[in-house]
Amino acid sequence: MAAAALCWALRAARQVLPSPCPRQVRSYYVDWRMLRDVKRRKMAYEHADERLRINAIRKNSILPKELQEVADKEIAALPRDSCPVRIRNRCVLTSRPRGVKRRWRLSRIVFRHFADHAQMSGVQRAMW
Amino acid sequence: KDKSAASKDGTPERASKRQEDGAETPKQQLLDIIGNMKVEVSYRKKLQQLKASESKKQALNKLEGPDSEGSVPQGTTEGTQRGKPLNPELVKAASAVASSLPHNKKQTESELLAQLRRHEETTDKQKNGGTINIRNVISEMTVKRQSPAQRGARISGRISLQLDEDGRRIRPERSSAQSIDSRRSLKVGKRLNIFTKASTEPEQALKTVSSPTIWDLEFAKEVAAVTAQPPRNGFEEMIQWTKEGILWEYPIDNEVGMEDDAEFHEHIFLEKHLEGFPKEGPIRHFMELVICGLSKNPYLSVKQKVEHIEWFQKYFEEKKELLQEI
Repeated sequence: MAAAALCWALRAARQVLPSPCPRQVRSYYVDWRMLRDVKRRKMAYEHADERLRINAIRKNSILPKELQEVADKEIAALPRDSCPVRIRNRCVLTSRPRGVKRRWRLSRIVFRHFADHAQMSGVQRAMW
Repeated sequence: KDKSAASKDGTPERASKRQEDGAETPKQQLLDIIGNMKVEVSYRKKLQQLKASESKKQALNKLEGPDSEGSVPQGTTEGTQRGKPLNPELVKAASAVASSLPHNKKQTESELLAQLRRHEETTDKQKNGGTINIRNVISEMTVKRQSPAQRGARISGRISLQLDEDGRRIRPERSSAQSIDSRRSLKVGKRLNIFTKASTEPEQALKTVSSPTIWDLEFAKEVAAVTAQPPRNGFEEMIQWTKEGILWEYPIDNEVGMEDDAEFHEHIFLEKHLEGFPKEGPIRHFMELVICGLSKNPYLSVKQKVEHIEWFQKYFEEKKELLQEI
């Protein structure tokens, strides 16, 4: 999920392709918070393997505790943005941190806007 | 002259019928019929009508005594103009028409017969030439495809055509014929594919050596950017998206990007990678658990699993001094 969002973010941040095709390419992020979130996602992706392995050593009942303490220190020494906990699932279009539905990555307001204009495939107003 | 001949060919069948009946004078009859006559367009239809009407009265009146039957003669050449027998019914009709006209009967009769002969010739030549021309059309797709239809229309309209010795037409547009000839001569025959193959091989060998020049890449990018037209419809848009990687390829292949050529035993039996570790102790225990977990993991490739184990090996080697203190 983080990797997918990361790929999307990378594609959006890339420079405009030299082709004259009239597709809209977003070359700026909505705000700085979104940019920081993008950076955190990138770093989390890069350090994901290391963190997994060091945590495997830490959360262990077999290995000696001294080793685990050393591992604790190591993981704390990693850059702070590399931990996945700091990623916030913001709205993709408005960068709203709250009220974001995971499936569409959109905030509730944008979701409602698109759904009312019939631009969300398979989404219908509930009535029962 | 064509239209008059058409009308006269149509009239004499009825003229001859009513001559036998003897109800009215042939001249009056002709005039009435010419007034009511529609110009018949197709020559073959007329022929069939004549055959159908005069089939019973063949035995009675035979003038120039051709022994051939009523079927249309085929396969004539230019040399045998007069040797080819005419349709006896047509001959009969021509003689009836000539007799009905007030001028010199024999002269008109001979003229009509001569014209009939000419028409027969042209039809035969058209048929022979038609087959050849159709073959030409099929062999080169660039030749105008309306020629058989046009030919049919011209036959029915009775426009006389000049034919070449080969049976092709001399049309007023001579340049097209010449271009067709030149096209045929160039494109005739199958390709041997000798020179093209030999020429491409050394080019490829040279290109692989000097391929990654920056200027070539830039040029290629420029050309692609210039030639890339915006998509004209939804299909082209989807093609472009697929090329860019935005859209998946359908039917969806679950193993896209996964090039794991390793067999199952390489995924499961990972103990051979544990050679760098001590054979007893907590580390071994730990690594065996790690291997057990990796063997059950279907999402990683063999390479990734091996890297995982090697990382642990490196990590424990760095901490060796610490471990020995314990």
